[in-house]
Amino acid sequence: MSDIKLDRRRFLKISTASVFGTGLVLAIKWDELPADNKTLLIKASPFQPNAWLKIGSDGRVTVFVVESEMGQGSSSLMPMILAEELEVAWDDIAIQRAPLKPAYGYQATGGSSSIRKGWATLRSAGAMARQMLIQAAAQQWSVNPSDCYAENSQVIHKQTGKQQSFAQLAQLAAKLPIPENVSLKSPNEYKILGTSVPRLDIPGKVNGSAQFGIDVRLPNMLFATTVHCPVIGGKAKKINDSKAKQIAGVEGVYKIDNAVAVVAEDTWSAMQAAKALEIEWDEGANKNLSSQQIQQQLENAAKNSTRVKFQQGDLDSPGAAKTINAHYDMPFQAHVPMEPMNCTALVNDQGCEVWAPTQSPTGARNTAEKYGLSKFNYYLEKISRRLDFSERDVVDVHTTLLGGGFGRRIQQDYVAEAVQIARQLKQPVNLTWTREEDIQHDFYHPYTFHVMQGSVDANGKPHSWWHRIAAVGQASAGQLPYAIPNSKIDVASVDIAVPTGPWRSVKHHYYAFAQETFFDELAALGKQDPLQLRLELLTDPRMKKVLQLAADKAQWGKPLAEGHFLGLAVHKSFGTYVAEAVEIALDDQGLVNVVRVVVAVDCGIVINRDTLLAQMEGSVVFGLSAALKSPITLKDGRVQQNNFYDYPILKMSEMPKVDTFIVKNNESPQGIGEPAVPPLAPALANAIFAATGSAVRRLPFSQGPSD
Amino acid sequence: MAQFTLRINGEDHKIEAANDMPLLWVLRDKLNLTGTKFGCGVGTCGACMVHVEGEPVHSCTLPAIAVKGKNITTIEGLSANSRHAVQRAWVALQIPQCGYCQSGQIMTAAALLEQNPSNQISNQIIDSSMNQVLCRCGTYQRVRAGIKLAAKMMKEDS
Repeated sequence: MSDIKLDRRRFLKISTASVFGTGLVLAIKWDELPADNKTLLIKASPFQPNAWLKIGSDGRVTVFVVESEMGQGSSSLMPMILAEELEVAWDDIAIQRAPLKPAYGYQATGGSSSIRKGWATLRSAGAMARQMLIQAAAQQWSVNPSDCYAENSQVIHKQTGKQQSFAQLAQLAAKLPIPENVSLKSPNEYKILGTSVPRLDIPGKVNGSAQFGIDVRLPNMLFATTVHCPVIGGKAKKINDSKAKQIAGVEGVYKIDNAVAVVAEDTWSAMQAAKALEIEWDEGANKNLSSQQIQQQLENAAKNSTRVKFQQGDLDSPGAAKTINAHYDMPFQAHVPMEPMNCTALVNDQGCEVWAPTQSPTGARNTAEKYGLSKFNYYLEKISRRLDFSERDVVDVHTTLLGGGFGRRIQQDYVAEAVQIARQLKQPVNLTWTREEDIQHDFYHPYTFHVMQGSVDANGKPHSWWHRIAAVGQASAGQLPYAIPNSKIDVASVDIAVPTGPWRSVKHHYYAFAQETFFDELAALGKQDPLQLRLELLTDPRMKKVLQLAADKAQWGKPLAEGHFLGLAVHKSFGTYVAEAVEIALDDQGLVNVVRVVVAVDCGIVINRDTLLAQMEGSVVFGLSAALKSPITLKDGRVQQNNFYDYPILKMSEMPKVDTFIVKNNESPQGIGEPAVPPLAPALANAIFAATGSAVRRLPFSQGPSD
Repeated sequence: MAQFTLRINGEDHKIEAANDMPLLWVLRDKLNLTGTKFGCGVGTCGACMVHVEGEPVHSCTLPAIAVKGKNITTIEGLSANSRHAVQRAWVALQIPQCGYCQSGQIMTAAALLEQNPSNQISNQIIDSSMNQVLCRCGTYQRVRAGIKLAAKMMKEDS
């Protein structure tokens, strides 16, 4: 146990820098809960010591979860953290989506940040409740609280073995003051953390009962779909909807910001009618935009203005024996979560209600407020939020399960559309995009172009390293993890109309690909073993450790089966270290078959072991799709891909064996949803380089070699 | 507009729908059986798989009227209380991540095992059937293991 002093004011209202730059209020005490919540909870729950849990008289512990569940497991992992400190049996845990109240701060799930953001808070919240339950028992038995402990939803007196359940103690605990200090367990005392307790969301996902956004059904509900100008940024000029309106079940056609909406009795009729619309588009400024043109703009940008992200030594210092120059490029990638974009909304005189599969309930609320309210309700909402006087919610967001997110659902475009349509109707409407609209109107992983220059000294050791990145949108990069005496990373951001946004692992995907693939090129130039050279030049011992582990488990340096080759890469992102070793087999035609991927991961303390493994497996698949499958390309201002037949993702027969190995330690827990994506593409490229002697410098590999 | 009767999960439903309306949308929007999912609309992703007379079919491209009078099974009707071996295996191996494609995975796997009741089911057979169902979360390795586990469970149950 380690004691931490609860600065009560701090615990009540801690502001912490979040990735969104907004103050995050971590917890509030019971009597600060908004009035409407309080009445609800008093009836149902005798004990709610803070905003994160309540314990019912039946002993059920309800944990409030702010994270959106998109498959990454947060809705089970966050309760595990709290349950560990509370000493509650896992079977007694239930979850409830946290309401959009100030106590929970800006609600958004992204950047593999859930565990890092919630770790301290949820431990303290659970420990606080445990201490109060122990105090309650001690009071009843007239014994010293330090002679009591909690285990398995019971408080037990050490000397006599007397015990009482949390259910029995809840009422009394609620009357006790919030403790000044809480004791947190040390990792060697953990019983739940690090195990593979079954996830709470799985049972509903095997029988069709799990409710995703697209499944929301309300009385008197209509269905809609939207059509966007095929040219990026274009708008509808003239709409002829006479044919569309002849389709049975069609209720109306509406022009909204950036789209034309068709409303019907069912989704199918809406989609059929959308096809029958005759729309004259104002294609705007981007009608000539093409991938070639973008490539040219990036290449030009890479020659000129740049921002230095990392620098040491002097690139021009003498000592280079051999040099190598290379260009890497990576196209736009779409997210294609299996659940297409959708949102359900109801706008009436009372305000606006939204049901959305969104990574950001707060973002959805802000969007609904902007597009879905009358002037009167807009100001009423502003005032009631400022005063936190929420007798009724003018805007309310119900966050459903997400059928995949990957960064796409941090955006709110589908929410904006649904509430605009709902404003026309005064009855609920479920908006669903077609897959074609989803692929052609995404916020893409940015197109990037990389200029790599490196040199080795007379001993074949790296002497200089220069990595320049030009990216559509906001270019970024991290530090070089290798101690190369003269090195520099700089970036150029290029303003192009194609929308870009976070995509699983964000910048790490593009800069790790160029960095880790070029590293093997430089190693080859100096006739060095890529593993040994990495181990020599890496400065972070945790990074070395995962790399060595992946290499060992993949039998690096040992004879492989005939025609098999290995490639390695290592990268740290979102606080977590991941090394991957990809084993490929070349067939007679020279086709690459990915046989096995070894993943070594150090994410600090493991919350749920099985979820960690699942995230590693899933990230490998995500990385393989990006490395082997289609790019998003543009011609005449239009995205050229339509659906899974021309934007394929990895399928079952292409799935390699994935073996994950975990480095165990007691470092603070870090992100797991994204960090295994970035090493995949370079490790695979390095395996192909090892097999063929020619470097793979362009993603996806199916596009053929770069010039 | 046509009127016809669909036999879904053992129950008859009177339907009024356009002649070309796919079964998927009848299930989802007319009957509120939302366990069957829309993923692509063109029969390429498999999120919409249901059984018609035990055969796995893409409900997104199949006109509902074409299967009137046939026995249709959706994920909701696969078993009572998720007791089908495939569902038990899916829970045991914690297969779903986001879960959106899993109705399609489970229905396709259940049909596959019905046709190949061997507990020695090969990867090739699994691939040829399961290639129809895409998973963006990347649960393929577990789906493969889940099918093998379910095959074993079915053998033990019989």
